[in-house]
Amino acid sequence: MTANVIFYPIIVPLVTALALLVTPKKMKWGKEIVAIAGTALNLLLAIALFKSNIYFSAPWSGFGIDFSLKLYQFSSFIILAAAGFAFLITLYSTASLFNKDYAKPFYVYLALSLLMVNGAVLADNLVLMLFFWEGLLVTLFGMITIGNKHAFKTATKAFIIVGISDLFMMVGIALVAYLGGTITISQINLTTAGLGGLAFIFLIIGAISKAGSMPFHSWIPDAAIDAPLPFMAILPASLEKLLGIYFLARISLDMFELNVHSWASTTLMVVGAITILLAVMMALVQKDYKRLLSYHAISQVGYMILGIGTLVPVGIVGGLFHMINHAMYKSCLFLTGGSVEKQAGTTDLAKLGGIAKSMPVTFICFIIAAASISGVPPFNGFFSKELVYDGALERGMIFYVAAILGSFLTAASFLKLGHAAFLGKKQGNAEVKEAPMRMLIPMITIASLCVLFGLWNALPLNNLIQPILGKRLEGHNFSGLPTNALLVIATVVVLALALLNHIYGVKKTGKALKATDHIRYAPLLGHLYDMAEKRFFDPYNIGLDIVNFFAKIAAWFDRAIDWVYNILVVNAANLVTGLIKRLHTGNYGSYIIWSLASAAVILIFLIRAI
Amino acid sequence: MPSLMILIPLFGVIILNLVFAVNSRMKKAAFWLALAIFSLQVVVAVFHHPALWNDSLGRIDSFLNVSFFVDHLSFIMFICIGMVSIASLFVARYGMKDEDDIFKFINLLIMASIGMSGIVMVKDIFSLYVFMEITAVSSFLLIAFPRSLESLEGSFKYLILSSIATVLMLTSIGILFLAAGGTDFDAIAAAIGASYENALVLAAIGLFICGLFIKGGLVPFHGWLPDAYTAAPAPVSVLLAGVVTKSAGIYTMIRITTSLLPHYQSVNNILMLVGTISIFAGALAAIGQDNFKRMLAYSSISQMGYIILGLGTGTILGIAGAVFHLLNHSIFKSLLFVNSAAVEKEIGTSDMNRMGGISQKMPVTGTTSVIAFLSTCGIPPLSGFWSKVIIVIALWQAGQYAYASLAIIASIITLAYFLSMQRRVFFGKLRAGLENLKDAEGGVLTVSVVLAALTIGIGIFFPFVFNTLILPVKEILVR
Repeated sequence: MTANVIFYPIIVPLVTALALLVTPKKMKWGKEIVAIAGTALNLLLAIALFKSNIYFSAPWSGFGIDFSLKLYQFSSFIILAAAGFAFLITLYSTASLFNKDYAKPFYVYLALSLLMVNGAVLADNLVLMLFFWEGLLVTLFGMITIGNKHAFKTATKAFIIVGISDLFMMVGIALVAYLGGTITISQINLTTAGLGGLAFIFLIIGAISKAGSMPFHSWIPDAAIDAPLPFMAILPASLEKLLGIYFLARISLDMFELNVHSWASTTLMVVGAITILLAVMMALVQKDYKRLLSYHAISQVGYMILGIGTLVPVGIVGGLFHMINHAMYKSCLFLTGGSVEKQAGTTDLAKLGGIAKSMPVTFICFIIAAASISGVPPFNGFFSKELVYDGALERGMIFYVAAILGSFLTAASFLKLGHAAFLGKKQGNAEVKEAPMRMLIPMITIASLCVLFGLWNALPLNNLIQPILGKRLEGHNFSGLPTNALLVIATVVVLALALLNHIYGVKKTGKALKATDHIRYAPLLGHLYDMAEKRFFDPYNIGLDIVNFFAKIAAWFDRAIDWVYNILVVNAANLVTGLIKRLHTGNYGSYIIWSLASAAVILIFLIRAI
Repeated sequence: MPSLMILIPLFGVIILNLVFAVNSRMKKAAFWLALAIFSLQVVVAVFHHPALWNDSLGRIDSFLNVSFFVDHLSFIMFICIGMVSIASLFVARYGMKDEDDIFKFINLLIMASIGMSGIVMVKDIFSLYVFMEITAVSSFLLIAFPRSLESLEGSFKYLILSSIATVLMLTSIGILFLAAGGTDFDAIAAAIGASYENALVLAAIGLFICGLFIKGGLVPFHGWLPDAYTAAPAPVSVLLAGVVTKSAGIYTMIRITTSLLPHYQSVNNILMLVGTISIFAGALAAIGQDNFKRMLAYSSISQMGYIILGLGTGTILGIAGAVFHLLNHSIFKSLLFVNSAAVEKEIGTSDMNRMGGISQKMPVTGTTSVIAFLSTCGIPPLSGFWSKVIIVIALWQAGQYAYASLAIIASIITLAYFLSMQRRVFFGKLRAGLENLKDAEGGVLTVSVVLAALTIGIGIFFPFVFNTLILPVKEILVR
């Protein structure tokens, strides 16, 4: 294999996007065929490139900014995963977006997003990576805007939030260049002392905001409602998580030398724990299928950040394993949401119910994915979470408690979701049918992978995750059953408690949808929830308030200037004009007096000196 | 040769009344004779060949017992006089119905132009006064031409104020004649230089300047001007605004201050102050006007202020800017008055409240007016921009920062009233009742287009025009 192969993951999606743009509109199935062929080709390419090591570098724009691409274990893994999701979701979209007029731009954006992810993952130069990284922001913006009529506002919100955090990252990159003297990722080796710590934090902000961690999350629930559904499955659920966590791992494992007990590690773990808890608390009380899922997409990032933040081998492996697991079950969950939306016509849980019988395949896929996300053995989520727990426990009891509490709430909210959406009494008269095959295949594929990665966790762990860490893992092997039996028992107990909680809630209120109301309206907590639902805690809204405040001051200032120009000056001019007009009576006598008086003044002025 | 500038038109008037007055066909041809005379004047002034101008004509010169001389300032004035007279001629043919009226008008027009040509060529102060009176008397008659109450009133006011100016100037001339023993510029300049601290001489200077202020219509000596401009028939407005006040008031002011009172700081201070007052009072008064011509009249006052302000610097650059602005202003202001004549004739009124959107129906008039407005406001690259810029730069270089700033601020007021006028008259929705409006006839439109082209052309070829035509004027200071 020549080094040129390394360009193919960038070229193939680009060609796909261009081909999509020139595909004639009249051609039936034209854009679908091109999109599927392009993503399939990309998937084959990713499989072929998997585990190969290629390095390419050429001078680009000087100042150390080289066009360097590096294909190795980790990047080839991310490219493979991204390619798989892109292919499956394209396949899914051919059914779910069929006859939608925004289908074509969606495929174009999807192909371009794939290009950006591949480029950012391959890039071995920070500036080059930034180029692709920001490119993904553009396609993200584009993909949201093609949604419903509120989509533009949401897209702007996403753009601003992610854009601001990317700004931090740019500063971070500049600091890295200043401190380390190089922006070639594989040559960077910094510590978090002094300015290095600032650089670390700035880079981390960029990475975790791409992954959708708090406090950079608030656009995701909005996008879940406003953007086309496959968008949620492809970007926030899978590609962005892969990219964000990939970069997070690169920063904290490769670029910076972190000690296990450093403040940087603790910071990451705190961010992770807070994200887990707050986001899942919000997820618990959602009454919309997609919105509920979107909060989980935020919450689960917390586990990954927590896992990687522990900096102990078991935690890192758990975090990375959770990354791929999450991408699978969350995109699967979003896809089931898409099926429900397409077939039942709504994602409002109050209007859903009892569709399990008519949509059995969707329901089974949902059960598997929900069990995975809740950490039910023997699905994949269970194993990755156990690893994260293990790591968290090693660093401190509090982190473990946060993680396990998150697990409890996750399980509770999915019990509520499944119960309310699929079981219970049927709502409405409309006959709901099973989704078409093209939507089922991706769901089934991902669901079976969830089972496979759980039952045979040695396959992903030994082949995908552990080789990434290389030397750090010497003597460790985390595949197979969890080693800490006590933790497993604790998990099972928590899950059982979640079930009991659900039964209690349903008994109390009589409705599955209200199963969590005793938490929602608990004293004090209920008040906080009220404020959260009014977006009191949304950093974007807080930022908007601040900006509006300054905008108002600027507007007052502007009004004042306008007042000077439009009112004061005009009125003053009119006053003088009126005065002059009144003086010109047309009486020549007064004109003569003016002239003679002025002449007298001039004479006096001239003669005064003598 | 300079005497021919007087003798040829004078001879033309005689021929007109002896030969052309015989029947109506010949009277119509009078237009062409006048056109030929004015065109000749412009041509010889533009290509001012020294051989032509410096030749003494012996006996012919002795017809007039006045010694003439010409310099570059005179040439510029000749160009202005000729051009504006031609414009006035076309407007008269377009606006006046009666052949006899046109014939009489042409006679008076030529007489007025003789007076103005005399003003710009004489070099003794009494002859200056004589030619000024020739111009003034022709102007009185021209303003009163329609014999309406309004025009008689306007003419009367001009007559009264002009008489006061005459009294002031004659008094001054008498004193200066006493002091110098002659009326020649050189003799008077020497006398003023010698008796620097003589109160009587200073008073004489002040009186003369005040007389010129009245003639030039500068605030607060301007009372006659808006009434006279507004009441006068359209072609006369063109003539008055274009050249009469300029040659009688402004040109003479330039000549007197440079020849008789060089570097006389007190006079310069008066000039700058009066100029600035004129700029602001004229511009502010223009904002409130409802009558198209009246607004243009006040605008003229304001622009005269710029010229006087530039002159007040006393520097070569300032005087060059003043002369340049004089030339530009006589082009674009007569363009505006020509257009106002067209609008007045087609609509039947010059009340702006009864106009609106007429650019749609009178595209040429509308477009050329906009060009003239923009030039007046000093929008690059039109001619008015350069002359104003030069004046402002000259003020700055002379250390008159306050006046320079005021000159710039006043530009904004100019822009304000012209934009509001443009919206009321030319742009916006067509006013009801003007649906059948037509543009003016070819002759007048040609004049408008030529003047607008000159405004643009001088702006674009500014360095060439400034260096070849305007800058040689500095000789009047160096002398």
